Amino acid sequence: MLNFPLWKVGLILVILVWGTILALPNMFSDGFLGIEPREPSDPSNQVAMAAYEQQMQEVEDSWWFLPAGKLNLGLDLQGGVYLLMEIDPAEIAANRLNTVQADIRTALNRNPLVERNPPVQNEDRLTIEILNPEEDMDEAVRRLNRINPTIGTTQTKLFNVERTGDQFIQLTVPGNARTALASDAQSKMMEIIRRRIDPDGVAEISITPQGDNRIILEAPGEADPKRIKDILSQAGRLTFNMANLDQSAIRAAVTSGRPPPREILVDSIDYGQILINRIPELTGADIATANRCFDEANFPAVCFRLNSSAATKFYNLTRNNMNRNFAIVLDGTSMSSPTIRSPIPGGNVIIEGRFSIEEAEDLAAIIEAGELPAKLNFLDERTVGPTLGAESIAAGSRASLIGLALVGVFMVLAYGLVGGFAVGSLMANIVMIIGALSGFGATLTLPGIAGIILTIGMAVDANVIVFERIREEQANGRSPATAIQAGYERALSAILDANITTFIAASILYMVGSGPVKGFAVTLAIGILTSVFTAFVVTRWFTVLYLRTFRPKRLAM
Amino acid sequence: MLLRLWPEKTKVSFMNLRFVALIISVAALLASAAMLATRGLNLGIDFAGGAVIEITQPEDISADDIRAAVQPLIVGEVQVNSARGTGPNAPDIAVVRFKPQPPVGDETGDEAQNRAGDEVSAALRTLVDADLPDGESRFEIRSEASVGPKVSGELFRSGIIALSVALALMMVYISFRFQWQYALGAVAALFHDVILTMGMFALTAFEFNLATIAALLTIVGYSMNDTVIVFDRVREEARKYKKLELSKVVDLAINATMSRTLLTSGTTLLALLSIFIFGGPVLRGMSFALIFGVIVGTYSSIFVASAVVLLLGIDRGDKPKREVEGFQGAG
Repeated sequence: MLNFPLWKVGLILVILVWGTILALPNMFSDGFLGIEPREPSDPSNQVAMAAYEQQMQEVEDSWWFLPAGKLNLGLDLQGGVYLLMEIDPAEIAANRLNTVQADIRTALNRNPLVERNPPVQNEDRLTIEILNPEEDMDEAVRRLNRINPTIGTTQTKLFNVERTGDQFIQLTVPGNARTALASDAQSKMMEIIRRRIDPDGVAEISITPQGDNRIILEAPGEADPKRIKDILSQAGRLTFNMANLDQSAIRAAVTSGRPPPREILVDSIDYGQILINRIPELTGADIATANRCFDEANFPAVCFRLNSSAATKFYNLTRNNMNRNFAIVLDGTSMSSPTIRSPIPGGNVIIEGRFSIEEAEDLAAIIEAGELPAKLNFLDERTVGPTLGAESIAAGSRASLIGLALVGVFMVLAYGLVGGFAVGSLMANIVMIIGALSGFGATLTLPGIAGIILTIGMAVDANVIVFERIREEQANGRSPATAIQAGYERALSAILDANITTFIAASILYMVGSGPVKGFAVTLAIGILTSVFTAFVVTRWFTVLYLRTFRPKRLAM
Repeated sequence: MLLRLWPEKTKVSFMNLRFVALIISVAALLASAAMLATRGLNLGIDFAGGAVIEITQPEDISADDIRAAVQPLIVGEVQVNSARGTGPNAPDIAVVRFKPQPPVGDETGDEAQNRAGDEVSAALRTLVDADLPDGESRFEIRSEASVGPKVSGELFRSGIIALSVALALMMVYISFRFQWQYALGAVAALFHDVILTMGMFALTAFEFNLATIAALLTIVGYSMNDTVIVFDRVREEARKYKKLELSKVVDLAINATMSRTLLTSGTTLLALLSIFIFGGPVLRGMSFALIFGVIVGTYSSIFVASAVVLLLGIDRGDKPKREVEGFQGAG
């Protein structure tokens, strides 16, 4: 136990140095020890920004020998918005079933025509009444089975086709299809959410799936949850419909509640209500790009470009409908209903409205990202402002330093020089915890800081157990060397047992905990590993070095 | 002379005190149960749902103003508490809380909660910025949390499951490393600690939330740690003195480990006190639970865990029974 051959010493040094190197970048997080160039006060000044970024790059390059990973601060420390959202699988199933209605119509309309009443959809169940079941039933079932789509990249079919009674066919979405739909929708929605919240791909947002039908959004630095929820609440269903702005027709439709056939009433942001064709000419899927631009009067507007086939379609549409109106409809509200003055080539369309710049940007992001397959329900929402985050960091660091100082003083008072060795290895322990957290890319939260402080208190335990044993052995008359030897040997099983049980608690906490609590579990678990190492190896090494160098008759402790 | 928390050689007969300790423990457990039954836990929004919005409170706006602005939007009582900001010149803080909102029309409970949260934020912004010219704002959200009924139920369940799984796994581990009597003793001590800590939360009405569950799990780990140290020594002394009465063996073990127990609890408590005092309001509930838990855990490893082992007796067969020794050193 007292032998430290060269390779062991080498290994200890390698681990300590490695931990230190991993921890080091955090020293430079606030400006590379003061040599970081100053960030320009006006971020829109592109020349200054470019110069700043170049200087930053040069500074970073000059520190090439350090790893890039720093501690990730949790949302509770750096401020930001956390949102837990859920999609309702039944709703996705119903929406998906709704979209195949057009295919069903086409399939049943083919020659020979299957005569039937219009299908009735009740959530994720669609019933079709066949008028001549004797002749058409088998053919109808065959045709429906043929158009039954598979879901995403799976082999799962969307619906089951069943006959009920003599003349009804029922399409239902079975459980496995629902699951497939939900997970398909989940990944699609994560992508849409990312494009809506962060259209330029510059923010450090994180979007992660949870279970089959939940999504977690974490947006550091964001302080307004309302804006995020507004952007994500919109279905984003965009259509181009021919519009009818004839005031008398609209008035008649409003009073009778019955619009003309093939037309529907929608709200309009500039005309109250207008009539539009039920069937759209183009949809959001036809849009290639959308971005914020300015209209002729220099108001913020949304410009978008149609893809090439839709652009041709749009050109023909505008050529054939001169002096009529079309409407751009987003989620059931007409955003704009301009009159066609001339055929529009190229597929460039602009929505003018009295938007603010931010509104126009959000709208462009929503249009370009596309339609959400289902509504998002917000289940759990947490926001920490930047002020509170900064206060928490300050309080956490203060508590750590004071805790460390108190424990250090206490150890030296109790065990003298050897206690000093323990304090030394405690410092090494903290450096290694920070190094491990940085190396794994783990997230440090406020409870995580509490975990480190708790580890400071508990890490001395292993040392204490050993020291107590050494005291006992010395009291029994053994020499320092044999006392130390026996102390470490006898203490090993107790220390391992004790730390394994705490480690079990930390792992469970990691598995069930979320956010800040998970951060606590991570630091606790890492702290247990490093503190066993430092107490058992580092402190012992210090003690043995002392013993060899000074050969004391008796250890004062 | 170096600091000694416990004299070097002692022969305190802890196990003679075990009946006194039993009375104290049972009384404390009953009191905790009564507290939990009558006052209940002050569940935070993690488990009860609802919302907490913390804003900086300008000097010209009182807590009553805030209550008057928010109450009309909310079903049930709105709590508004003002607190001094931390640090010099820090502005005051107002904390607005309300319970989960009942759904209106065909809303779900989650939608109702969400809507109420948004409406309250908007109302607070209007109130704070009322006298400012257009486009200026002094409204600052320090933190905001809004939890719907679905998730709060799940969080509560997963917290309870986590605690139960932790207790079960520790029991398995201890039975594997020691004998089953030790496992029962250890788990009895853990239940004792968890129930007393929860009782303390009921008594003081400290908020019981996810961080508290984390604290409870840590207490479980710590108390276990403490118990294992004593048990390890009991096992060792029981092997060394095969003829000695078990209660004497347990006393020997406790006396031998007492100095370590006090030192470790001491350093841990010092660290925790520094979190409690200097760590800011967010960590106060958690560190309170840990401080109480460390004290109770230290007590229970002596008077509950060891006493149960003494009650059940251990297998001290004369022939050296091949226990699972794993990493037992050559004693």
